[in-house]
Amino acid sequence: MAISLRDVVKRYRTGKVVVEALRGVSLEIPRGEYVSIMGPSGSGKSTLMNLMGALDRPTSGSVRIDGIELSGLSDRELAVVRRKKVGFVFQQFNLISKLTALENVALPMWFSGVSRSRRMRRARELLELVGLGHRVHHKPSEMSGGEQQRVAIARALANEPEIILADEPTGNLDTSSGMEVVRLLEELNAQGKTLVVVTHDTQFGRRARMRVKMRDGQVLEVER
Amino acid sequence: MIEYLRYSLRTLAHHKMRSFLTLLGVIIGIMAIVSMVSVGAGMEQALRKKLEDLGSDKIVVSPRIAYGTSSILLVDADAEALENLQGVAFVSPIYTVTSDVEYGGETQLLKVLGVDPEKAEETFGRGASSYSLLAGRWLGRGDRYKVVLGYSAAKDAFPREVSVGSRVRLHGREFEVVGVFSKTGDRDKDYSVYTSIDVLREIFGAGDRLTFIIIRVEKGSDIEQVRQRVEERLKRRKGTDKGYFVMTQQEIIQSVGSAYTVVKVVFGGLAGVSLIVGAIGIANTMIMNVTERRREIGILLASGADRMHVMRIFITDAALLGIAGGAAGLALGYGVSRAINLAAERYLGEGVLTTSVTPELAVFSLVFALLVGVVSGLYPAYRASRLEPVEALRA
Ligand SMILES: Nc1ncnc2c1ncn2[C@@H]1O[C@H](COP(=O)(O)OP(=O)(O)OP(=O)(O)O)[C@@H](O)[C@H]1O
Ligand SMILES: [Mg+2]
Repeated sequence: MAISLRDVVKRYRTGKVVVEALRGVSLEIPRGEYVSIMGPSGSGKSTLMNLMGALDRPTSGSVRIDGIELSGLSDRELAVVRRKKVGFVFQQFNLISKLTALENVALPMWFSGVSRSRRMRRARELLELVGLGHRVHHKPSEMSGGEQQRVAIARALANEPEIILADEPTGNLDTSSGMEVVRLLEELNAQGKTLVVVTHDTQFGRRARMRVKMRDGQVLEVER
Repeated sequence: MIEYLRYSLRTLAHHKMRSFLTLLGVIIGIMAIVSMVSVGAGMEQALRKKLEDLGSDKIVVSPRIAYGTSSILLVDADAEALENLQGVAFVSPIYTVTSDVEYGGETQLLKVLGVDPEKAEETFGRGASSYSLLAGRWLGRGDRYKVVLGYSAAKDAFPREVSVGSRVRLHGREFEVVGVFSKTGDRDKDYSVYTSIDVLREIFGAGDRLTFIIIRVEKGSDIEQVRQRVEERLKRRKGTDKGYFVMTQQEIIQSVGSAYTVVKVVFGGLAGVSLIVGAIGIANTMIMNVTERRREIGILLASGADRMHVMRIFITDAALLGIAGGAAGLALGYGVSRAINLAAERYLGEGVLTTSVTPELAVFSLVFALLVGVVSGLYPAYRASRLEPVEALRA
């Protein structure tokens, strides 16, 4: 399994109010699967994604990524899991504005200790792969939303992770650049990456082989 | 390390104005330190040089010019009494006055040093940066109404340059110029006139009075022991050890040095206060920075950074800010120091007040600025590194 969740509960405490964002989620995602997660706003989709990407810890329950149980790991070890196993794509692109496209893509490789020259070479290759070979020295502010999201996808691929987690990757894009991003992500899945996308776009969501419906912090149904 | 620097440079460049404002405190602090300490260091250097000119084997006996104690009168007999002391190679009594000197119809007030003509060369012509002749000869045995002029006394004091063979009138008497010294760079020396002590005292009715005594110690003798013997002998003769001092060049340098250390510490301390303000400024901006850059921190964490990476990134930022502020402050401080120098030269005359930005001072101020940066960046960096990835990304 690429990702497996068992009885995962996540509670957020803001002051005295406790929000139960996930109330016992169990889910198995095989390697190379193409998964969409859909559900109303506040149903816990992003919370689930963050747990699957080792960005956060569950309040209880077990999360395994590529067979690694996360519950006993230190912050540092969690960082290593993020670095090696997952690539994130966010709705807001989340590029670093002071860095060029090339440097943004190279960033994850800095933390995994790849030499500068190899980093730059690979970052350039990845940008070419997402069709941005002509934009390497542009800053995010000098690029369109679609281009920025493609840079983000290139960055997600930098450390050659098994798993791509995309939280509403087309949410901020117009239809045509959204299509472009979908096409790109599906291509990666076709090449063997496990792909998990959260989306409100039913057209997009229906394309996945495995479709997860959520409501109120629970998995309502899984379609295959 | 290089990578952290590269990253921080990007941050600095991206927020130029904010970085500059953050740095203002450090820039001003370092500028103040550099310029103030350079004044102290310059004074000290000038004095040291002056004293080193005396030569390291010399002891000076001089009346103490101080309030409360009446200064002791030194006379020929005192100097003679020192000649047969063990370890003393040579005793040269000096009498100085400020006198009117006339040449070519123009009268100037100049310092005149009377020395035994026979001992003139040995007194002034030996040692590190002593006098050398530009023209003519030294005073010699039997010279009476002869003078040797300091460089500026000959070249600058009078409308017409005084040359060897000319005659000048000193307090109404005619003297022949037999020599001119090369420039020493010491304004005081360069404007002085050198002549026979006996003639000078006759003219001014000074009897057997002396202004100070220069003693040279025999090679191989312990200068401190000789100094003590001189002191004892004088104490016996004068019945007191007050009102005059017997000092070796080393002691003079030490006492002067410590006086200027006080000056430097006080100046440096004042500047240090402004640096603390600068440090608080950096810390403050860095903390605001952490809040503002939460999203960036989240991105870094999602890209596989761990807490140490984040911590190092923020410390490097602060260190770079510190160094940048230090460099700017050093450059400005150097400018101020040069300006003080030029102004002093112009309005006070050459060599009166020189400032000096020593390499030590430059390095110290950079290291200090770096330290200020790092220290004030530690807590903000720690805060940054404690952020939870998900929280940071929600910003
Ligand atoms: N850090 C947090 N602190 C407090 N409450 C939170 C936090 N993160 C999420 N929540 C709450 O948990 C619930 C689930 O949030 P989540 O972001 O997972 O929903 P979502 O399905 O992604 O919604 P959307 O479609 O709007 O993105 C919401 O009620 C949200 O307010
Ligand atoms: Mg969401």
